[in-house]
Amino acid sequence: MANILLLEPDNALANTYIKALEQIGHDVACCATAEEALQVLDDFRPHLVVLELQLTGHDGIEFLHELRSYPDGQNMPAVVNTNLPPQTLRPLLAVLDRDLGVKVCLYKPRTTLQQLIRVVKEQARA
Amino acid sequence: MPDMRTNQSRGGDMELLRSVAEQLKTPLAVIARQVELGELAGDIRQVDTTAIRTQATTALTLVESYLLGLQLLHQQTELVLEPVSVSSMLVDVAHELEGFAKQYGTGLELRIAGKYEPVMANHRGLKSALLSLGYALLEGYPLQGRKLTLAVHRTPQGIVTGLYGEYEHLSSQQWRRALELQGSARQPFAALTGGSGAGIFVAQTILQAMTTKLRVGKHLNQHGLATTLQPSQQLQLV
Repeated sequence: MANILLLEPDNALANTYIKALEQIGHDVACCATAEEALQVLDDFRPHLVVLELQLTGHDGIEFLHELRSYPDGQNMPAVVNTNLPPQTLRPLLAVLDRDLGVKVCLYKPRTTLQQLIRVVKEQARA
Repeated sequence: MPDMRTNQSRGGDMELLRSVAEQLKTPLAVIARQVELGELAGDIRQVDTTAIRTQATTALTLVESYLLGLQLLHQQTELVLEPVSVSSMLVDVAHELEGFAKQYGTGLELRIAGKYEPVMANHRGLKSALLSLGYALLEGYPLQGRKLTLAVHRTPQGIVTGLYGEYEHLSSQQWRRALELQGSARQPFAALTGGSGAGIFVAQTILQAMTTKLRVGKHLNQHGLATTLQPSQQLQLV
C-alpha cells in the first residue's frame, strides 16, 4: 500500500478522506498548507500527493512547482482534488499536465470517495 | 434615470451569493462524504455524526445570515438598535461555536475583562455577524492546536468586540483589498481563509446595517477582525 500526502485545508473533509484511505490500507500524512506539506516530504516520503489548489498562503500550483524542483519530487504522481469549478480549472489544465506533471484533476464537490479511492489506486501504481 | 440603489443592491447580492455558494461547498461535501464513508465500510458507526451535525449547522447559519444580509441590502428589513450585553453575547456565541471549533482542532477562549455596559446593537444581527465571522475564521484558517479568542475591550471610540488569533500577517490593506475582490475573486482574503470568506463578508453586511463595520484589530498581541459598538446612553443614565 502507498504513502499518501494529502494537502487539504479543510480539517473536517481531511479527516473523512484520511479515514477512507486508511480503511483500504494506505498511510496518510495530512497538511493544511503548502509550507507544512513541504516540511513533511523528507520524513514521510510519499508515493503520491493529493492536493487542493486553493490554500491559505502559497497555493497548490506554487507547491507543485516547489515539489518538482526536488529530485525526489520530480516524478511523484500528483492528483488535484479541488473546489475550483471545471470552467476555472480548464485554463490551468495544460500547465498542470505539461509543466507540473498532474495527470488527474478532480472537482471535489462531485468526486465521491469511491472515485477518489480508485484514482489514488491507479496513480499510486503508476 | 437608473435606480442607483437597486443596482448597488443587485451588485451586492451577486457578490454575497457567489461567496456564499463557494463557502457552502465544503460543509455539504463533508456531509455527503461522511455518509458515503459509512456506506463504504458497511458500518454506520463509521459515520461521524458530530461532523455531520456541526457542518449542517454551519451551512444553515451561513444561509440564515446570508438571507438577513440580503434583506438588509434590499431594505426589506431593518435592524432596530437596542441595548445588548456584549459579554453575554460572546458567551452565547462561544457556546455555539464550540463543536465546530473542536472539529477544526481549535480551542476557544473568552476574554471579558471587567464589566461592560450594554451597547447599542441589534441582538439578532450582532449574533449572526459574530457567528458567521467565527465559522469563517475557524473553517478558513484553523488555528490547529491553538486558540481563537472572543474578546471585548474598551477604547476611547467605544466598546470593541472581535475575534482574534495568531493572524499576525493580517493587515488593514489586505482587508480593504479583500472587500474590493469580494465576489469577483474566488479567494479574496487569501491571508485569512482558503475559501471565499463568505461568512466574513456576510458579517460585514450585517454590521453595516447597524451603522458599524468590521476592521482589522489587535488586542493583547493577537490579531483579528473586530467591530466598535457604542455604549447605550439610555441605560447608562439608569
